[in-house]
Amino acid sequence: MSRDRKIRLNAFMRPISIHTAAWRYPGSYADANFNFGHIRRFAERLEEGKFDAFFMADHLAVLNMPMDALKRSATVTSFEPMTLLPALAMSTHHLGLVATGSTTYDEPYHVARRFASLDHISGGRAGWNVVTTSNPNASQNFGHEDQLEHGDRYARAREFYDVVTGLWDSWADDAFIRDKERGIFFDPERMHVLDHKGKYLAARGPLNIARPIQGWPVVVQAGASDPGRQLAAETAEAVFTAQSDLAAGRAFYKDVKARMETIGRNPDHMKIMPGCLVVVGESDAEAEEKRLRLDSLVHYDSAIASLSIALGHDASKFDPDAPLPDIPETNAGKSSRERAIKMARAEHLTVRQLAQRLGGYSGLAMVGTPKTIADTMEEWIETRGSDGFTIMFPYLPQGLDDFIDKVVPELQRRKIYRTDYEGRTLRENLGLPRPENRHFPKT
Amino acid sequence: MAGSMAQMKLGMFYWPCGHHMAAWRHPDAVADSGSNPPHLIELAKLAEQGLFDMFFMADSVSFWRGHLDAMTRDSYGTWIEPFTLMCALSQHTKHLGLVCTSTSTYDQPYLLARRFASLDLMSGGRAGWNLVTSANKLEAASFGRDEHMEKVERYRRGREFAHVVRGLWNSWADGAFVQDKESGLYLDKSKISILEHKGAHFRVRGPLNVPPSPQGEPVMVQAGASDDGRELAAETAEVIFGAQQTLEGAQAFYADVKGRMARYGRDPDSLKIMPGLLVCVARTHAEAAAKYEQLQDLIDPQAGMQLLSRRIDFDLTGYPIDGPLPELPPNKTVSSRAQLFAEIGRRENLSIRDLYRRVAGARGHMEVIGSVAEVVDMMETWVREKACDGFNIMPPVFPASLIEFNQMVVPELQRRGLYRTAYEGTTLRANLGITRPRWPTADADAALRERLSQSDVIEFRGAG
Repeated sequence: MSRDRKIRLNAFMRPISIHTAAWRYPGSYADANFNFGHIRRFAERLEEGKFDAFFMADHLAVLNMPMDALKRSATVTSFEPMTLLPALAMSTHHLGLVATGSTTYDEPYHVARRFASLDHISGGRAGWNVVTTSNPNASQNFGHEDQLEHGDRYARAREFYDVVTGLWDSWADDAFIRDKERGIFFDPERMHVLDHKGKYLAARGPLNIARPIQGWPVVVQAGASDPGRQLAAETAEAVFTAQSDLAAGRAFYKDVKARMETIGRNPDHMKIMPGCLVVVGESDAEAEEKRLRLDSLVHYDSAIASLSIALGHDASKFDPDAPLPDIPETNAGKSSRERAIKMARAEHLTVRQLAQRLGGYSGLAMVGTPKTIADTMEEWIETRGSDGFTIMFPYLPQGLDDFIDKVVPELQRRKIYRTDYEGRTLRENLGLPRPENRHFPKT
Repeated sequence: MAGSMAQMKLGMFYWPCGHHMAAWRHPDAVADSGSNPPHLIELAKLAEQGLFDMFFMADSVSFWRGHLDAMTRDSYGTWIEPFTLMCALSQHTKHLGLVCTSTSTYDQPYLLARRFASLDLMSGGRAGWNLVTSANKLEAASFGRDEHMEKVERYRRGREFAHVVRGLWNSWADGAFVQDKESGLYLDKSKISILEHKGAHFRVRGPLNVPPSPQGEPVMVQAGASDDGRELAAETAEVIFGAQQTLEGAQAFYADVKGRMARYGRDPDSLKIMPGLLVCVARTHAEAAAKYEQLQDLIDPQAGMQLLSRRIDFDLTGYPIDGPLPELPPNKTVSSRAQLFAEIGRRENLSIRDLYRRVAGARGHMEVIGSVAEVVDMMETWVREKACDGFNIMPPVFPASLIEFNQMVVPELQRRGLYRTAYEGTTLRANLGITRPRWPTADADAALRERLSQSDVIEFRGAG
């Protein structure tokens, strides 16, 4: 098989585990979302495991859920990502540092400055996850009773991207002469004033920081909807997606990369890295047991609420320890209903187990020995389901340590994963080109 | 001798290359100071060695400050965003406070509150926020505004902004996060306080999605010297960094602001007034003066004139450099510092060149140039005579002037009992000797609630 396609790995670190019961797992750190000492150690371990990047999703509100679910959730509070990442830049040397920056509730001048600053502080390891904020609770923290309509959010996001990248190109790489003798600090001919005036945004420029080390921080996106895919095809260099299985992954991969070719972009200049929960065991059976144990820690009240939503039917009267009974058809949420029923039948889950799966985490997961996991990852890469993965850890620190100590060596042994970083910047490691400055092209 | 006088508090005020406008041309200067992380880390470590209360960094959300041709001769235009820098510096220091400017005019309280709360959590309680309302009218263009907000409106917004930020910092009562693995209960919902703020400028629901930080509330810093600024400071500031020129002026300011605090039910000691002070020190007075002259001679005339133009809010382009300052028109957006320069110029019959040389070092702040004894005498007098509680020290050239301050001034301050010999605590509040301000909860502090409610900008709802 071909060894030229190496697996790219991001670590999904906010929340520190996507699984709602992670904090209850025996030996896990209950406060890992906001214990800086723990998080710093996680980052250092990820660098030992040669991960491409540490990825901080973000929410501009306490998560949108009923109080009775919220009170059991470890994800309520965490560090603001752009506070955490500059600090982690100090104890790591190669790890990429990627965070979400909202195009809905922040200003392009601020976003451009902060990510440029992170890039300078980290020696070229910053990435910006371009996100349109749709959480209704977030809108209430910014004086909006209603959210922007979906199409408007994406149109604004596209313009926001143009302004941010335009501001990053404010200065030629050689603009700052700093000639003490002549007293000339910079060459005004090597400065560009953006003077953007668009439908949603206006910003004069130049940015009050030199061009980022990487030219631009790596542009990351997550959108799965049609406008989200199009925006990604036009602008993204890394995509974090949610794909439930390989077939869905391949369809997404093919679609987005085809969109890139249509507009003349090189498909290799975007790395698609779906989110994936990885549970490692000494045997496949032991890994399955760990997964079941983790799921069993999801509180039944929260779990059954999730199941009822998925089925469009009140599940609270079902026998928790019996198989899922036949459910009458309803109009609401047909696909989520079918998915839940399929999952229950395929894995022989009881009502309780199915409810806890849905209430914990029910997306793409790889559960097994390092060999099983590496086989699966290799299949995804070989069959163009993805370029890599955004790894979600089931509980911390053990889930992360298991991955670094057991799965990474297996991937390296198969020569489908790096044994050392290729370069110092995130772009160099991801194999992405440094964008040319649109105002100051090389001659 | 010092007697029972409280020890002075010191900030280390960073400015790219140094506070003297020609600093970057000095042979000892690090010309790319503002975007050189190892150099900035070294400065933070030096500040901690000097037992400074805090590293202080100003900011502007625009590159523009005047004519482009003058700006090409100035090192202040591009730098690492201060908040990002403070987060990095937190990893290289253990006691040093980390204070930077963020504007209330072009930011959102929810975004700002979570950043400073996060820095406070990550640094073990060393964050401070310098609230500014953006005096530089050119900042408006960075955010697509044609017009800069009027000063009165900026202060109204700033005040409401500060209240919302404080409210969000008080989202979680102590012990909110029970994290009981056995029962599966992560958080005690009775300890969530939902702000539900609805004011003239902001509608913010809360709660904040950052847990309580060691200081509870990061330290509130302000600089405003105008009447609006003084009133806002008396109500909300815990440190004032302002510009003072004379002992008498500083005493009047000190008495005025501390006097205003009573109407907000605040103890005057809960606010530390620390004016900017440029220190050029050497073994002898003559040596210090010569060092200063060396810097003065490096000032580019065009850049000097632009600096003065900015300070007085009046464009001096075209006026003879060796002639007197022209008559200034009345200006509704004028800063309170502008009047000061005009006054000095008239009183001492100075030319434009004389005047820009006068402000090139400290931009309108107090300067002291002299021997160790002269510098320390001045500092002691100001604190003893109730002109201030300490200083925001402005080294003219980085890192050389900071090293000299540590080596010469700090030991003499300590010898006289005027300055700490070790940090008192690990948080900025502990070192400044100020406690966390009260925030009214739903069922207590009725009087405080009543007063804040009358402010027309804040409305309280019950705890969740």
